[in-house]
Amino acid sequence: MTELGTLIALILTLMVFSFLYKENPIYRFAEYLLVGISVGYYLVIICRNTIYPLVIEKLFIHGEYLVIVPVCLGLLMFARLNKRWAYLSRLPLSLMIGFGAGISIPAMLQARILKQMSASMQSLATINGIIILIGIISTITYFYFSKRQEGMFGKVTRLGTYFLMVFFGATFGYTVMSRISLLIGRFEFILRDALRVIS
Amino acid sequence: MDLSRIDRRYIYLVIAIAIAVPLLLKVQLPVSVGPEVQKVYDEIDSLQSRDCVMISFDFEASSVAEIKPVAEAVIRHAFEKNLRIVGLALFSEGTAIGYNIISSLAEEYGKKYGEDYIYLGFRPQYVSAILGMGENIDQVYPLDYLNDDWKDFPPFSDVENYHDISLVVSIADGSLPTYWVEYAGSRYGQKIAAGITAVMATSYYPYTASGQLVGIIGGLKGAAEYENLLGYTGGGHRGMLAQSSGHLAIIALVILANVAALRKKR
Repeated sequence: MTELGTLIALILTLMVFSFLYKENPIYRFAEYLLVGISVGYYLVIICRNTIYPLVIEKLFIHGEYLVIVPVCLGLLMFARLNKRWAYLSRLPLSLMIGFGAGISIPAMLQARILKQMSASMQSLATINGIIILIGIISTITYFYFSKRQEGMFGKVTRLGTYFLMVFFGATFGYTVMSRISLLIGRFEFILRDALRVIS
Repeated sequence: MDLSRIDRRYIYLVIAIAIAVPLLLKVQLPVSVGPEVQKVYDEIDSLQSRDCVMISFDFEASSVAEIKPVAEAVIRHAFEKNLRIVGLALFSEGTAIGYNIISSLAEEYGKKYGEDYIYLGFRPQYVSAILGMGENIDQVYPLDYLNDDWKDFPPFSDVENYHDISLVVSIADGSLPTYWVEYAGSRYGQKIAAGITAVMATSYYPYTASGQLVGIIGGLKGAAEYENLLGYTGGGHRGMLAQSSGHLAIIALVILANVAALRKKR
């Protein structure tokens, strides 16, 4: 079984790699297969790990009838499929948007802004801390568009672009590293698991 | 020769050779440990035997090659420290992969399901799941991945919410660690570490600088650093020579492309 799995994985890997030569039906077949399997897998996992324990079991085994409320709200989402009843889907949607906004706004404000601001001000005793503060101020200044970027203001915004370029460079470097890692993973699979050239 | 007109397939060939040849050589490069990885290691190392760590497999199948060595290194450390592991997944594709990684390592270390580790499986709507576990994990996961009532396992029956979890490690290829920070970290004061793909690393450095994340293990390089600290050779170490030669090939190609562009300008 493992051998068969390895063989299928090898064939699919080569089918995907064939795209590097040129776009072809073999590659497209592998691509569609991935999409289909991903959706099928997701549905199975949802049914087995979510709908069964959280709905079926609670409702029919434990008799927790309150579960009917979220189930009905969820089913109302399907009302969008019919023009006449589509307005009913607004109820679960409005609940989701309201819940989402209410939960995420304070959490994001706290974690992404206040905590970050506080951290960037605490470390002013070190050279790194000063560089970070200069970087923050000059970069934010670059995104202030209500004043022409010239004179002293222009010099600060120019400094901001240098910081941005360093960030883009670092991100690109990490992206290359990440993609190379994925390629190493496939090559390791081909050479070790499929061809057994390396141990 | 006009370098700007070179067939892109030659570039693919150069990259393929740069990756494949080092993998065939049994040479290993020395790996120095960075502060972010060291912090994660120190945090796990400071935990007491039988403390509980939560490992969340928040990635998709496409990232396995990069993220699996990270997950393996963290789980090995946890098993070596005799910690209890609660595994779960907030991305559906990570569910079975996470279970396979954790159960195969458990077998290697002689750890038993229900005694040393449990696997809760997948929940959709990760924000709700993360928030819900802050109140009661049992409400979010009444059954485990194997459809058993995990509260029946005595070593885990006292695990109610984040108060009983010493550390959450999110093994992720996307933005999930941010949600862990926002909802479990900020709201419940949960300590969080992240094992991430390298492409995400720059996004998470500010969170380690501010202390919102204990540390990060970034990609294959991060895994190699962690393996170094644990004193074993795993997927991270094996890929380092290929990673370096791949980078050198890309640097050479970038220089070549710039030379070609300059020549064309003149």
